[in-house]
Amino acid sequence: MTMLAVAWFDFGRRLRMISTYVYFVVLGGLAGLWMAAAGGAIAGAIVSFGGDKVLINGTYALAIGIGVFGFMGIIVIGSIVGRAIQQDYEYGTYHFFFTAPIHKRDYFFGRLLGAWATLLLVFSGIAIGVLVGSHWPGVDPARVVAVPSVQSFLRPYLFILLPNVLWLGGCFAVLAALTRQMAPVYVAGVVALVGYLFALDLLGNLDSKMLAAMLDPSGVTALDLTARYWTVAQKNGDEIGLTGALLWNRVLWLALGLAVTVLGYRAFRMETANVGGDRQRAGTDNAAAPTVARVPALAAPAARLDRSTGAFLRMLPGLTRLHVSEIVRSPRFLIIVLGGVLLVVGNAWGGGQLYGTSTYPLTYRMLDVVGGLFGIFILVVTAIYAGELVWRERDVRMDDITDSTPAPTWLGFVAKLGALLCLQLLLLMVVMVCSIGVQLAQGFTRIEIGHYLFELGVLQFSGYALLAALALTVHTVVNNKYLGHFAVVVLFLVSSRLPDFGFEDRLYRFASRPDIVYSDLNGYGHFLPAVFWFRAYWGAFAVVLLVLAYALWVRGRDGGWKGRLRIAAARMTPVAWSVAAVAGIAFALSGGYIHYNTHVLNPYYSRTDTQRMQADYERRFKALVQDPQPKVTVADVRADIFPDEQRARLSGTLTLVNKSGQPISNLFVHYPRHARAFKVEPDVPYRVAASEPAMRWHNLALASPLAPGATMAFRFDLEFGARGFRNDGADPTVLGNGTFLNSGLSPDTSLIPSFGYDESAEIASDSDRKKFGLAAKPRMHDLDDVVRRQQSGLTRDADFIDYRAVVCTSADQLPLTSGYVVSDHTDKGRRCIAYQMDSPMAAIYPFVSARYAVKRDVWKGPDGDVAIEIDYHPGHEYNLDRMIAGVKDSLAYFTHNFGAYQHRIVRIIEFPRFSRSGGFAESFPNTVPFNEALGFTARVDDNDPKDLDYPYFVTAHEVAHQWWAHQEVPANVQGAEFITESLSEYSALMVMKHKYGDAKMRRFLKHELDRYLLGRGTEQKGEPTLLRADGAAYVHYQKGALVLYALQDVIGEAALNDALAAFVKRWRFKGPPYPTSRDLLAELRRVTPAEHQGLLEDFIETITLFDDRALKATAKKLPGGKTEVTLVVSAKKLRADGAGNEKEAPMDTPVDIGVQDARGDWLFLEKRRVKSGETTFVLTVDGEPAKAGIDPLHKLIDRDADDNVVNISR
Amino acid sequence: MQLEIRDLSKRYANGVQALQQVSLTVPPGMFGLLGPNGAGKSTLMRTLATLQSADSGTATLGDIDILRQPERVRAVLGYLPQDFGVYPKVSAVELLDHFARLKGLVDGKTRRATVEALLERVNLHAVRKQKLGGFSGGMRQRFGIAQAMLGNPKLVIVDEPTAGLDPEERVRFHNLLADIASDVVVILSTHIVSDVADLCANLAVINQGRLLLTGEPNALVADLHQRIWRKVVTKVEAEALKAQVKVVSTRLQGGRTVVRAFGVDAPGAGFEAAEPDLEDVYFCSIAGHLKTPLAQAA
Repeated sequence: MTMLAVAWFDFGRRLRMISTYVYFVVLGGLAGLWMAAAGGAIAGAIVSFGGDKVLINGTYALAIGIGVFGFMGIIVIGSIVGRAIQQDYEYGTYHFFFTAPIHKRDYFFGRLLGAWATLLLVFSGIAIGVLVGSHWPGVDPARVVAVPSVQSFLRPYLFILLPNVLWLGGCFAVLAALTRQMAPVYVAGVVALVGYLFALDLLGNLDSKMLAAMLDPSGVTALDLTARYWTVAQKNGDEIGLTGALLWNRVLWLALGLAVTVLGYRAFRMETANVGGDRQRAGTDNAAAPTVARVPALAAPAARLDRSTGAFLRMLPGLTRLHVSEIVRSPRFLIIVLGGVLLVVGNAWGGGQLYGTSTYPLTYRMLDVVGGLFGIFILVVTAIYAGELVWRERDVRMDDITDSTPAPTWLGFVAKLGALLCLQLLLLMVVMVCSIGVQLAQGFTRIEIGHYLFELGVLQFSGYALLAALALTVHTVVNNKYLGHFAVVVLFLVSSRLPDFGFEDRLYRFASRPDIVYSDLNGYGHFLPAVFWFRAYWGAFAVVLLVLAYALWVRGRDGGWKGRLRIAAARMTPVAWSVAAVAGIAFALSGGYIHYNTHVLNPYYSRTDTQRMQADYERRFKALVQDPQPKVTVADVRADIFPDEQRARLSGTLTLVNKSGQPISNLFVHYPRHARAFKVEPDVPYRVAASEPAMRWHNLALASPLAPGATMAFRFDLEFGARGFRNDGADPTVLGNGTFLNSGLSPDTSLIPSFGYDESAEIASDSDRKKFGLAAKPRMHDLDDVVRRQQSGLTRDADFIDYRAVVCTSADQLPLTSGYVVSDHTDKGRRCIAYQMDSPMAAIYPFVSARYAVKRDVWKGPDGDVAIEIDYHPGHEYNLDRMIAGVKDSLAYFTHNFGAYQHRIVRIIEFPRFSRSGGFAESFPNTVPFNEALGFTARVDDNDPKDLDYPYFVTAHEVAHQWWAHQEVPANVQGAEFITESLSEYSALMVMKHKYGDAKMRRFLKHELDRYLLGRGTEQKGEPTLLRADGAAYVHYQKGALVLYALQDVIGEAALNDALAAFVKRWRFKGPPYPTSRDLLAELRRVTPAEHQGLLEDFIETITLFDDRALKATAKKLPGGKTEVTLVVSAKKLRADGAGNEKEAPMDTPVDIGVQDARGDWLFLEKRRVKSGETTFVLTVDGEPAKAGIDPLHKLIDRDADDNVVNISR
Repeated sequence: MQLEIRDLSKRYANGVQALQQVSLTVPPGMFGLLGPNGAGKSTLMRTLATLQSADSGTATLGDIDILRQPERVRAVLGYLPQDFGVYPKVSAVELLDHFARLKGLVDGKTRRATVEALLERVNLHAVRKQKLGGFSGGMRQRFGIAQAMLGNPKLVIVDEPTAGLDPEERVRFHNLLADIASDVVVILSTHIVSDVADLCANLAVINQGRLLLTGEPNALVADLHQRIWRKVVTKVEAEALKAQVKVVSTRLQGGRTVVRAFGVDAPGAGFEAAEPDLEDVYFCSIAGHLKTPLAQAA
């Protein structure tokens, strides 16, 4: 019972410590804040638990929330359990305990128990915070479970949080007890954090999911894996279970924790300082015995003393070096660096994968790793060592000596700041060396040292330095080491998440700067000045902070606030004041300049402002959605791009025709709000009836209505380009190299004026709509909406158009758009190319300009040659041949199977990786802009069975769009993506299958299945069927690819292609009315044999999942050498609704039944009809069967693919 | 240059009155500050060492106002705190060099020479490359005095330096202190009377934040001539005597209790005259038997 007495005393003592309550309140407060924000109580906040429909206190959200917040509390675990025993060394009280007649067990575990009990109390704050936060006023009741189950709280605590407290606590206590220091605890904490981050990263890779789940010390990744394919309904209602990956993860880490605790306990001795041999050796002080002989008077030899500021300044490097060298020489720093190195190397090595295929280790890609994962790591190191440095002298009780030296206070302070900055620089250099090592190890020699130095040494370091100043200030002001650490971590966390809570303006977000993304085409481009301004602004602020910290720096024993303030006043000499004043003025001036740029020169719209405008727009103008508007029939455009000025002028004439059958008296014109409009007008008399430029709304009343069938010209002249910079950085519209402007495809980025109420400008998210009093709305118009069938799904204000354009840019760049080159001349440093399209096309076209190299080829087709042109950035030659092969094979397959290609050229154009937010390619008529990071830099190893030639695949997909979206244009209703994206995905799969074989496709489809099942869990509104595909990418890409591939597997590739050919033939350049998915389904029904018609219902008309399992397989040798395999399988078919609620449906489906030998060759693989329940198959095969199963190639959508095959027992 | 302390007072936030109107003049040379634990010695030392502020009063060293000009004090200060630590992973020569920089020894060459010389003087030269973490208590104190002597200080404050040292180390340490140049103000704070008796030309006794006595040890002892009486008694008798006579100290000698008492005449039967020593001075002042001119004035 001594143990309980020890525990009780320790617990009681901690209950009297203010820090216990600080931890409790801060953890609870953060959790509550997160909940309230996710529930919509904070305007402008965008935090969520993955999707609008995932309830914030549903089972899954609670489990993840409690798990992650609990793990973020690792610093609390460290400072509470770590000190369980170490505190006796720190306070020197160990004498009393070690000499008391208590057993080691009682002392050791008693302390541990006391600390654990304290942690239990502290971490209960999270649950309380969650409870309070999820019912905070303003939280949308539709986003919370009114009465969450006790289980939903209990289980995350029991499965995730408490095991972590136990095992981490045990390890921390042992570590601190054996080393008698707290620093190793923090190092261990960092290592655990690295494990967590690493696991997060690994989880993205299909083959290492299980490894990731095991590796993650927090258990959150394992939890995530077990709930990976949960639908929204499951996430809200299913209690998490201690099964599978989570169970093993917990067992693994608890066992490790237990082992460390027990071993540590055995190694722990209740003995006083045994510093080891060191002491004994040094103890032999061979000084002479006391002698009466007088040594010369004890005075230092005459030394020149110089206590001028200059002299101390000259000492600064030496002092800094002493701090740095002491830290760098310590083993724990080496461990930290090693952890960082592993993180960088691990990440950089496998980073940038797409479909499990790596990309070339370009310098910018290496640097992305640093900006992401390693950035967190540097922050942690900064937080820890800021505290260590501030407390350095006091920790060893040397402060009295150093504090009473004549060295000025600023000297020690600046030396510590310098040391902290040196550590950061050192880590960044380690990163650089590691990254270069990875590049070289991967045989990549295009190493850009200058780029490394600039990114790490200037862009990143300047940010970390600001945080170093903050950390140092916080530690100084708080003046309590453990609370200081905690405060720094909380500040870092909070400030990094501020924008998620609606605090976006960088003028009040410390150390923030606009994002800047390097592109090989454009470098950092014109985005740098904004970054530097923000750095200067916050840098000046950091100097003010540092002066504050200097003033409050504790020197001597006056730790109370009264004394500190009095000393601070004395320390604020004219010099200190003037430093603060100069910094303050610089802060104000740069702030003023930034404000001028971000609020005056460019209007400032927060996310909430933008949404409010969207809501206003919808409320005021939605009624006009049915008002007839003319359609564009001819676009005659001139694009003048001035790359050096980041400016472009788009002008031209649109021919408008009234196809509506009613007279049109008002034109509703939209153009971007950041455009400078020189001319936006019809060539008939009109007046401006209303104009709301911020909402992009201009109502032009025509003097005389446009009669049905009548035509008029509409002229525009708009200018775009950087005017200073905005809160999110410089205007990215026009770049120095690699400008990519567009019209059409996505109305919110279209730079060309468009007509009619724009439904895509409405708020999409239902929870956001609710905040503004708008009703929920479906993503797309109903499949059977007859009005919308009359509208093109691509552009609301045009059907097919005639297109001409002149694109001009500087002479060293190549101006590009859709169409064919009519003329090309360069005059006065400007190159102008006139393009013309020779046939009607969808009203979407890009304008691109960059310094391109061009690779050309020709595909000789049955109906004539098709030119192939790739406009690429010199240096990015890696995959040009793959792309060209992709174009050729696609053209061959598509023209043979689907019908003729409508153009005589295919152009692929590389654009910077950040443009238009991301990694995609986009198909315009005969022209395909293609992201530099997608395919151009892929590193495909043809000998690696896991590698997927995705440059080839993506090319094929985009070429397929020339049929699916450009020849056959969908109506503006649900299912549009099924007949564009799904068909393009299928077409590309077929091209790829013929080149690389079925096995590669299986590999690809495995990724697609994973992404489909994952996508369902983050559904924002409700999962649509394919037939009603409404923009949910996981449905139209992933599910589309999966089921169409499965369909051709059953009914045959030829039959399916026959249906597609008939479909495109019927709808080629037709509309209005435009085709819908029902038209495609009709073609599919036509080619599908009667016995397989059910598949169309399963695949396309419903959400159907299969649960196939192989239960048992036995083999028996038959006379004559053959083997009889008896396979028992069970099968189940489930139908899900949009939320993911499942119901079983009777199954009668053709499914693969297969038998494999030990080498993996198929001895038997045939389709058999499988009904619900258990079925036994008796199969006769040649050879030595090893495995048998149902759907062994995972052609059907089945959440658990691992149970489809069993080993054959004999 | 001498140290003048006038009416120095300090009360801590928890209400403890650590110093109460302390006034003291400390001439160059070794000055002993005696007092029991908790008397306010360390508060006074730390205040003089610029580590702590006072509530009122003044302290000057020559023309330096210690309370207002901490930088000037630090420039001439050598301080050996009562309880100090060192970086365990750093060698003696490295850390001393670090302190030398902080004291303003800019020139690398002379700084190194100074460091070497001081280590030589305090007899740590042979172990100068060893990590400080392995030093014994005596070695660490000697290292401490070496750092205090850096930069030719004019005011040296040594707080409880011999506590915990073995007799041999104590002697060694006394020798080091005795070697400090005679024009330097050296304040030795201690509760061990023999430290002061061995080393100091002047002393002061302080208790409960008040100054009780100052003077030269010999003169103070001489003042007690024929004022100290001793008697061997039993333990019970000793208790009883406390109420009857001005007991200075009660101590065991060879298993018997010896009571020393203060009195102009023999305080009672069985008392014999004893040769006074500094310890008697100390205990008399603590017990309030002595009135110095200073204390009388207060």
